[in-house]
Amino acid sequence: MNEKKLKQLFESARREQPPVPPADFAADVLRAVRQVQPAKLKEQFPNFDQLNSWFPRIALAAAAVIALCVAADYGLTAAGLPELGDGTAQASSQFVFNAENF
Amino acid sequence: MSDDAEVLQRIRAGATDEFAELVSRHQSRVFAILHHYERDVQRVEDLAQETFLKAWRALEQFDSRAPFEHWISRIAVRTALDHLRREKKHKNEIGLPELGEDALDWLRSDDEKSELDSRSAAEILELAMQELSPADRVVITMQEIEGRSVKEIAAATGVSGIAVRVRAVRARAKLKRALEKLVKT
Repeated sequence: MNEKKLKQLFESARREQPPVPPADFAADVLRAVRQVQPAKLKEQFPNFDQLNSWFPRIALAAAAVIALCVAADYGLTAAGLPELGDGTAQASSQFVFNAENF
Repeated sequence: MSDDAEVLQRIRAGATDEFAELVSRHQSRVFAILHHYERDVQRVEDLAQETFLKAWRALEQFDSRAPFEHWISRIAVRTALDHLRREKKHKNEIGLPELGEDALDWLRSDDEKSELDSRSAAEILELAMQELSPADRVVITMQEIEGRSVKEIAAATGVSGIAVRVRAVRARAKLKRALEKLVKT
């Protein structure tokens, strides 16, 4: 199949007439639309509205995580175990910022 | 006659029946797009209805500053792409459409001046394009049959212009190979 023949094929296909929509097509669509609306139409939120609606729950979850960490830290200190921060400081001094390893 | 933006405004204000006006205005364009990917008229009608229903569901997201025609065309292309992907999955269940005498004669003829009617051309392309992936088929159809620019194809398919160019070259080569295979059979 050479390029010229391929072009002829495309040109001929371009001339084909598409089917004509039936006279009652728009009415059929409207009937179908009435079955999905109006709830669907009202459900559509822009992204920011959706984030807004989630905000109180996200904020509450974040506050709960912070409270849990603070409580765990106090709990560990009271029990005489090293605090969470101590472990991190120890790891930093021994491995991460240990100049002797370079 | 009011333009699409005014009709949309009325729909958003609660006049849902006005959607029929939008459908009437753009149905021919939607049918023409879908017909490039599906030759059965009844199925084209079903896909056109699916296109307008998708548009209806997403109407709140439509930015009225852009032409409604572009938006509905994009939805039609994506509906066609989904349709091709569904068809590809069941490819083995669907028999290959038979080519007419005129199409076969043209395919086998070495004479570059031999005439080809539009129906036969569409039949040949339909058959050869079954060798292409749905995305390749959409790109080559939009570029070669609908005469759309790379930018328009990129906007309709949601990929970059470079990706469209690469895909178009690859799809064209695949199509040529598929047509050569048809000539030999």
